[in-house]
Amino acid sequence: MMAPTHLHDPRFDEHAGLYVLGALTRAEREAFEAHLGACEPCSAEMRRLAPVAGALAHSVPQIDPPAALRGRVLVAVAPFQGARPHARGVSVRANAWSWLPVAASLALAVAASAYAWRLNDRLTMRIAVLDQGLADAVARAAAGEQRLVEVRNTMVAAQSAVTILSASDVLRVDLAGQPAAPAASARAYVSGSRGILFTAVSLPALPAGRVYQLWVVTNAPVSVGLLAPDGAGSVNQIFAAPPAAARPVAVAVTDEPAGGVPAPTGRFQVMGTVTGV
Amino acid sequence: MWLLWATVGGVGGLASSRSGGEDRAADAAVLQRMAAGDPGALAELYDRHARGVYSLALRVLQDVHEADDVVQEVFSQAWRQATRYDAARAAVGAWLLNLTRSRAIDRLRARRARPEAPVDTEVIAAVAGPGMAADERVISNERGRLVRQALDGLPLLQRVAVELAFYEGLTHVEIAKQLEQPLGTVKTRIRLGLLRLRDALGEIG
Repeated sequence: MMAPTHLHDPRFDEHAGLYVLGALTRAEREAFEAHLGACEPCSAEMRRLAPVAGALAHSVPQIDPPAALRGRVLVAVAPFQGARPHARGVSVRANAWSWLPVAASLALAVAASAYAWRLNDRLTMRIAVLDQGLADAVARAAAGEQRLVEVRNTMVAAQSAVTILSASDVLRVDLAGQPAAPAASARAYVSGSRGILFTAVSLPALPAGRVYQLWVVTNAPVSVGLLAPDGAGSVNQIFAAPPAAARPVAVAVTDEPAGGVPAPTGRFQVMGTVTGV
Repeated sequence: MWLLWATVGGVGGLASSRSGGEDRAADAAVLQRMAAGDPGALAELYDRHARGVYSLALRVLQDVHEADDVVQEVFSQAWRQATRYDAARAAVGAWLLNLTRSRAIDRLRARRARPEAPVDTEVIAAVAGPGMAADERVISNERGRLVRQALDGLPLLQRVAVELAFYEGLTHVEIAKQLEQPLGTVKTRIRLGLLRLRDALGEIG
């Protein structure tokens, strides 16, 4: 059906990686899918890169879903049972207990069912099991409050760089080395809504007792925070945006006494102005 | 995206742990029982994979309620499509995470088309500290940890380009615009980034 000696088409170079990440436009994706079956180099590249997409899906921080979600999902999906041609009433009934929204401990569940068995009352058993599930869910919800705060912080920390870069109000500011640090350069992504991503290279080592402090300038400089460069003078940090970050005129770094100061007193190290605002 | 899984079938992109073979066989058996209409099998599938599905949905959407909804949608879809699942094409875990990412990205895109939601400044304030260490604690999967590490080791713009594509659902055209980089540069960065991540995976086989 296809020409046996189908040549690789240079238009599709680098498409495989974009495809496995889902980063092609719709038209490109369709064209690539049509091309792929006939092109061995592209197929080989796909086989090589596809596991990376899988690993990325696995590499996110693993967080337990809320306990109540299990019951909600299983109950919500249950109505489909009736529509399923293979499902027989008997087997569904026999298995019904296994998907009840219950997270009861084994001992209590056994106790509950023994009690219910004595009464020979199916309804009582059902209520006992559900009660235990409810008590368990309430206990877990209470314990979950604190955990939710932790989880949100973790998520935000892991993502803030991307969140800032994809913010609708993000501004990029390139900062040039000043006479005090001629070799240094830096870049800041400033989003009034999402925060500030700051990256710099070749900041000179400071004498003891001095620190680098980052400023956003509107009418006056507003402190963003202190920088902690590594031994090579590189830094890559994320900060919460001060209110002034919504309309910055410039971004700058000065050297200041340890602990930082409310307004700059030291020499400018790198500085950049916002254009086109 | 089905084509992707058909093309790489057997590679098992997401079969992650060292006991991946056993897990895969057990997963396939659960899917067969689901296809036969056994609701107990659905509960089992949930217990095996809800954590991964929820975590990915939460990573993409950053909203616990929407993540809950995606989990429900994914397991509903798995239940409905169990009869059509083909073990030769993809591992069950891979299949579920692929469904998860598609649904989460769809929601993200729908959300972008609407005016932006108000920003939670409390959460942003929480980032001010040195936060990156925190997520190490909650990554249990060894392979996931290695990829995370490799991702952290990429040059910033390679990493950001890969993340914007995979977790934010942006196309390379949108990424180029966002990063103010030429299209060709973005494509090259993404490919280099993926190859380095591939090498990192290769170390654990």
